[in-house]
Amino acid sequence: MAGLFKRLYDWLLRMFWQTELDITMIGLQNAGKTSLLRVLAGGEFTIDTIPTVGFNMKKVQQGHVTLKCWDLGGQPRFRPMWERYCKGVNAIVFIVDSADQAALPVAREELHLLLEKPSLDGIPLLVLGNKSDLSHHLSVDQLIEVLDLKSVSKREVSCYGISAKEETNLDAVLNWLISRSAR
Amino acid sequence: MSYGKRDEDADGAIVRVDRTAVFQEARLFNSSPVSPRKCRILLTKIALLLFTGEKFPTNEATTLFFGISKLFQNKDASLRQMVYLVIKELANTAEDVIMVTSSIMKDCQVGSDIVYRANAIRALCRIIDATTIPAIERIIKTAIVDKVPSVCSAALVSSYHLLPVSRDIVRRWQNEVQEAASGSKSSGFSLGFGGSHSQSIPNTSYNTQYHAIGLLYQMRSHDRMALVKMVQQYSAAGVVKSPAAIMLLVRLAAKLATDDPGLRKPMVQLLDGWLRHKSELVNFEAAKAICDLPDVTDGEATQTIHSLQLFLVSPRPVTKFAAIRILHNFATFKPDLVRACNPDIESLVTNTNRSIGTFAISTLLKTCNESSVDRLMKQITTFMSEISDDFKVTIVEAIRTLAIKFPSKHASIFTFLSQTLREDGGFDFKKAVVESMFDLIKFVPESKEDALAHLAEFIEDCEFTKLAVRILHLLGMEGPKTKTPTKYIRYIYNRVVLENAIVRAAAVTALGKFGLSKDEEVRSSIKVLLTRCLDDVDDEVRDRAAMNLRLMAEDDDTASKFIRNDSMFSLPVLEHQLVMYVTAEGRDTFASPFDLSKIPVVTREQADADERTRKLTSATPTLKAPSMPKTTAQGAAEAAASTAAAAQKYAAELQKIPELSSYGGVLKSSPVVELTESETEYVVKAIKHIFKEHIVLQFDINNTLPDTVLTDVSILSTPVDANDPDEAAPLEEDFLIPVSQLKTNEPGTVYVAFKNTSGSSYPACTFSNILKFTSKEVDPSTGEPEETGYDDEYQVEDLDLGGSDFVVPAFAGSWEGVWESSAGGEEAAETLSLTGSKSIADAVTQLTNVFQLQPLDGSDVALSASTHTLKLYGKSINGGKVAVQVRMAFSAKAGVTIQIRARSEEDGMATAVISSVTG
Ligand SMILES: Nc1nc2c(ncn2[C@@H]2O[C@H](COP(=O)(O)OP(=O)(O)OP(=O)(O)O)[C@@H](O)[C@H]2O)c(=O)[nH]1
Ligand SMILES: [Mg+2]
Repeated sequence: MAGLFKRLYDWLLRMFWQTELDITMIGLQNAGKTSLLRVLAGGEFTIDTIPTVGFNMKKVQQGHVTLKCWDLGGQPRFRPMWERYCKGVNAIVFIVDSADQAALPVAREELHLLLEKPSLDGIPLLVLGNKSDLSHHLSVDQLIEVLDLKSVSKREVSCYGISAKEETNLDAVLNWLISRSAR
Repeated sequence: MSYGKRDEDADGAIVRVDRTAVFQEARLFNSSPVSPRKCRILLTKIALLLFTGEKFPTNEATTLFFGISKLFQNKDASLRQMVYLVIKELANTAEDVIMVTSSIMKDCQVGSDIVYRANAIRALCRIIDATTIPAIERIIKTAIVDKVPSVCSAALVSSYHLLPVSRDIVRRWQNEVQEAASGSKSSGFSLGFGGSHSQSIPNTSYNTQYHAIGLLYQMRSHDRMALVKMVQQYSAAGVVKSPAAIMLLVRLAAKLATDDPGLRKPMVQLLDGWLRHKSELVNFEAAKAICDLPDVTDGEATQTIHSLQLFLVSPRPVTKFAAIRILHNFATFKPDLVRACNPDIESLVTNTNRSIGTFAISTLLKTCNESSVDRLMKQITTFMSEISDDFKVTIVEAIRTLAIKFPSKHASIFTFLSQTLREDGGFDFKKAVVESMFDLIKFVPESKEDALAHLAEFIEDCEFTKLAVRILHLLGMEGPKTKTPTKYIRYIYNRVVLENAIVRAAAVTALGKFGLSKDEEVRSSIKVLLTRCLDDVDDEVRDRAAMNLRLMAEDDDTASKFIRNDSMFSLPVLEHQLVMYVTAEGRDTFASPFDLSKIPVVTREQADADERTRKLTSATPTLKAPSMPKTTAQGAAEAAASTAAAAQKYAAELQKIPELSSYGGVLKSSPVVELTESETEYVVKAIKHIFKEHIVLQFDINNTLPDTVLTDVSILSTPVDANDPDEAAPLEEDFLIPVSQLKTNEPGTVYVAFKNTSGSSYPACTFSNILKFTSKEVDPSTGEPEETGYDDEYQVEDLDLGGSDFVVPAFAGSWEGVWESSAGGEEAAETLSLTGSKSIADAVTQLTNVFQLQPLDGSDVALSASTHTLKLYGKSINGGKVAVQVRMAFSAKAGVTIQIRARSEEDGMATAVISSVTG
């Protein structure tokens, strides 16, 4: 009986409170986008992922909020297509491999190039420094510096350090994303 | 499902789908949450547009594509199927379609019971590019051997499409494909959208085998041995169950039989076996394959004809139709074999299905003999009005060849044609009738006056400008030669008064031709009429009138030369050369204008003879099944080029040789004679060029030995009197042009010239030929020949020179006429038996080739297997007429026995011609 009520309650909740958020996850190849999304959706972390050809979509259910996450391929040939998938979404998540210093300048360039597009004005941005489990990773402050995040204006910007592998700090990511629905 | 299907249909909403509106609606895909039902309807509209030929511009297609790709996550299986159907179509126009790869790959790996898995696989191959194929290799390989037929088929068909994209990778899947080909999965395509009730419908079509065999063939198409193995492996009883798959094997076997003579026998055996397969699909494919084999023999085809005959009495109309259609085509070149089925075919003539009836009657027309023409013609007349234009054309075409084949039947054929011309019909039909009449006029002189009169009447009310123009041209050509030219002048002038400018211009040109008449009255009336045309509103009409008037005023023969236009360019050669010129790759080809002087000029007589041969051999009964080389454009043009044209072609070459300048022009060049087998070390071919007082032998030599160079290559050619070897040779060597060096597979030409010292214009002799040269080895490292070599000789076959080398085929309307008129000259006769001929038909072909004369009166087609008379005509290089009559009789014991009679205007020619058979 209780189960039935629970289900009814859930259903009502979904009917009246259910909100769906569109989230786009971008970043250079090998940053860990696909891995992160899998873990967020409750899956297992795996070492041997295959590079994403195009995009990949998963829904993450969090209370009354459904996050529709678009995980885009990071290889150069897919980067021109990022803008199309960022248009009109509730938030852009930009993921970098915080242990791969060599790639960071490219990441900075690609990020700022994208943020310049007028079509994406005002969309909140969450920058994630992934792979914080690795010893030589950069701290959040260092990332803010290297990626020149201070110069980003006219939008909400946050930056966290996380690890998809060890599931470090993922709560903060989810909370940040869900709080987009409050506005 | 109570809201019935009928309502939807009646609504008709689907018909009003509009591209712009649909594109506007596409915002629906971005809405959230997604409504599967609404999206499905919208996708259906898009699919409808795409499938009915509507094209979305690239930007719209791209927007749609990405809108649709948002639906990938939806749980509704039918929506997902629909998504894939549309994605597949949009993939060709939209940009960046590669973006959906990962998403589709995910759907390709779901459990086999998911209904859209097959759709996903099919979509995948449309969006993938060569660089990403390795990433999907494993997915496809697993899918090929999946237990669900629809998945397996999808994977096979996708591989088929991917093969050209990345041959090497796809070829690695051979083992899986083979497994699918011999697997016995029966394919139950579950088309039930929704997929929830997934009880698979048992079905015995084994479609995956069809797809697998098709793919295997493509994978191995460059490896003949593998293909042979494949046919043998899968043709074994019971291995392949799908009739469609066996049909592919039939085609493959036929191809192998055609490509490799060594495989012909075993493959034909296989094909024969398939004639008895339990599926009609396979039977018909095998029958068609056998009938289409190049140079198919009677023995190979007999069984097929028998099988087809059985199908003629099948209760099912499609079966009957398929059988009669194959027989109809086959009757074109093997009328004798098909004749065996005539009783059954006769009963089909009255079939209520007119398509069957039409094919039946035109098959009978092809196989009939002279005595049954009238009866058939009567039968056709009864149902001409009931059939469509297409079929009418088929029948008229058959009648048209009949007219050439049986000239004596021209009266009834003509009656039929003139009746038909009066019937209603479109351009193609009328054109076919008119062209048949043209043929009658050209090749059956007896019918000329009637046919001309009829055509003249026809243009009085002919709605087709093109036909009117052609008929006017013909009236211009033939009218002046008739007894009452004035009659035609009236008809033609009526056109000038009543028609549009194009017809008027043609009419003026036709009138001009009458202006050459000897009859003063005719000339003056033409002058009056043309003068009136000078006031025409159209400038082309005025110009033509003015020019013709001016030509009439000339008193030399300029006018007759110009207007009668008796010699013309060899049209097949002209066409071929023009095509070569226009389609040339290099820019520099166009630097120089097209050189008309290279195009041989032939007389109208020769052109007619060629045309007649072509008409009889292409669309009509001939004794030869289509040989392969003829199918190439070049081959066709070459074959059609007349003997005169060939001579002209060589003339250009010979003109470059200064020693020959004093010989005058080439009068005739023989066909190429092979003096060696084609696989020997040195391949030698000869061509005999006949000049007024000289004979030039052209030896084309190819050195096929690798790493060897021949230097100082010459031919020692010794003429020996054909009749008496001890006599002094009738020819004396004049000079020899050797080749200094022959590298491997770079052919060269040696010329040997002789002067005719015999006193006769037509010397007969045999040349014995020895190839002489110095052979040097080539050092493979430097590519240079060594300093010293050794002298060597190589005996090649003898070359005969005889009467037929001095004649060219010529055309005449009636052979009897020619024969009678040459009664005063030389006559020679000979009786002998042809040991080399297996049948009358065979002998006819051989003799026509040997004599190099034109068969007339349709006598190149033997209608009886036991007796036949071949009637040949031609002219000697000096212009004297030569007519030959060959009576032949065939008996199984004695073979073909022939009696030849030859008449010639010039002395010695008749004997010489006969000696080319006996000698
Ligand atoms: N050590 C560590 N490795 C990680 C972490 N997250 C991802 N990886 C590894 O990084 C590699 C790349 O991960 P992906 O998720 O495929 O990267 P991606 O950003 O999706 O790459 P593209 O699809 O090509 O754009 C994989 O080998 C992952 O196992 C992490 O938090 N820590
Ligand atoms: Mg990825």
